[in-house]
Amino acid sequence: MFAAFAQGSLIRLIPVGMVMLALQRTVFVDIKVAGVTVQVVLALAAAAGASGGSERGAVAGFVLGAMFDLVEGTPLGSTAIAFTIAGAVAGLLAVITAEPQWWLKALFVGLGCAAGEALLPVVRVFIGEESPWPANMLKVILVVGLAGALMSPVLVPLSRWCLKIRGPAWTAPVEQQPI
Amino acid sequence: MAIYTVGRRRVIIALLLTGALLLTLDLRGNSVLDTVRDGFSRAMAPVEQATDVVTTPVQRAWSSFSNYDDLERENQALRDEIDRQRGTQAAAEASIIDYQLLLALNNLPSLSGIETAKAQVVGGATNNIDQIVEINKGSDSGISIGMPVVNQAGLIGKITQVNATTSKVMLISDPRYSIPVEILGGTGDRDEGREPTNTTPSGKTEEELDEIISQSIADAEAAGTAETADDPAGTTDSGASGGIDGLTPADVFEDDVALPQAGDPNEATTTTTTTMPEAISADNELPTLTDAEGSPIEPSSSTTTTTLLLNPDQLEKEYGVLRGRGQGRPPQVRFLQDIPSLAVLQVGDLIETAGGSRSLAPPNIPVGRVINRADRPGVAGPLLEIELNADLDKLNFVRVVLFQPLTEVVE
Repeated sequence: MFAAFAQGSLIRLIPVGMVMLALQRTVFVDIKVAGVTVQVVLALAAAAGASGGSERGAVAGFVLGAMFDLVEGTPLGSTAIAFTIAGAVAGLLAVITAEPQWWLKALFVGLGCAAGEALLPVVRVFIGEESPWPANMLKVILVVGLAGALMSPVLVPLSRWCLKIRGPAWTAPVEQQPI
Repeated sequence: MAIYTVGRRRVIIALLLTGALLLTLDLRGNSVLDTVRDGFSRAMAPVEQATDVVTTPVQRAWSSFSNYDDLERENQALRDEIDRQRGTQAAAEASIIDYQLLLALNNLPSLSGIETAKAQVVGGATNNIDQIVEINKGSDSGISIGMPVVNQAGLIGKITQVNATTSKVMLISDPRYSIPVEILGGTGDRDEGREPTNTTPSGKTEEELDEIISQSIADAEAAGTAETADDPAGTTDSGASGGIDGLTPADVFEDDVALPQAGDPNEATTTTTTTMPEAISADNELPTLTDAEGSPIEPSSSTTTTTLLLNPDQLEKEYGVLRGRGQGRPPQVRFLQDIPSLAVLQVGDLIETAGGSRSLAPPNIPVGRVINRADRPGVAGPLLEIELNADLDKLNFVRVVLFQPLTEVVE
């Protein structure tokens, strides 16, 4: 079990996630764009989806969201569910193309971020919170999605390293012996 | 490259179900999850400190880039506000002293008798839903869950999570925050409800003084004598600002008693304005003036006491519950009874904490003012929107009021 954990992707994702969480709680609390807090951990989860597909994105989103809940004191699982969906949505990129261009990855990271941010208050509604919607919900979703797309050139390679994702290896067809 | 298949979809569904399971366990209270949460917070602490040190220059650069113009405007506005408030500060301090002395005389609890713990805000809200900040004091300083948190302007929130050296403060604007409050009906129209009467230190109006001065000058000329004027007792006493038992406004506003304190608005407010007398040359030396009772009067003193009498019938209290509504929305007060014969609630009325045996905050902590009133049909009662005294976007130093309601005090 330990060997599986050590060889798996979580061994890299958890420490990187801790650093991202620390950045979220220090720098990005102050750096607000149009009054909206940019979500860098959510963007990492979406980037994992865009680079590794829906399954890996969902796993990364779940782990990062659970870490976020643990350190923030929010109900454990509320952010994890939203980040899971964010990673899965960003992973839909794999359905379109096997080798996406950088701008396509940025687009899907932005979409994943927007989906995750939109789902956060929805999950809160399900657990009984009254009116958790921000006053400017549309602006929040747009800014978070746009910021995620802008950060994708940095976060996508980082997530590839965290999840140990290798690029597609094209193999040459086996030469056939002439009959 | 991964492909979106049915099998992979099962993994996503399993993760979502796991999230729901964790959510259920956490909401019902689970000691294992609490231990994990505490351990992870401790593990994150050094990472956060290191990150904070490394990224401080970035934060400062961004702050100077984005906030410079705002700070300049705010600085100018604050200077103007300070000039305006200097005039009323003395009267406010005097009223608070009187109020606290009255409470002490009647053995009533007051905020000055409650200990506080100073703290600094070290972390802001990390998402766009929760209105929670982190402070650098925890259970080691006697802080426990539920205690109210204030700054110099008034109430800002309550403690919702406590670690050894840090705590989480849920701000008033959070949708989950609620607290019983009292609305001081009639304080919103103070300018209309009072008629200032200008009197001199001796308690006489300016017209009465003019007559006395004229009569004294005439008497002095007739007698041809000039006496040396002594300073009459209580010449510059404003009535309320005099030191009682050696207590001065500075003593009350010392660091030990820095809680924001609302006074009793039913009391008369007394303001003293003193203007320095102009230089009088030897040629223009005035004769000694005395009033009808023989007490000397100092004609060069232009000290004026303005007593603002409020009609106590207009200041009735109404009780309700204040609830936060999230970022960008003013909090609301609900569960009010609209009985105009008891209290007329209107824009500008003061809001304070109501206290009570079950309230997590002591009474009389100022909260804000009414900025909007919405009447609802039926017996629902009006809704009041509140402008908070404290600026929740710029919190720095705060105080945790180490208060426990009577129902939670362990004997």
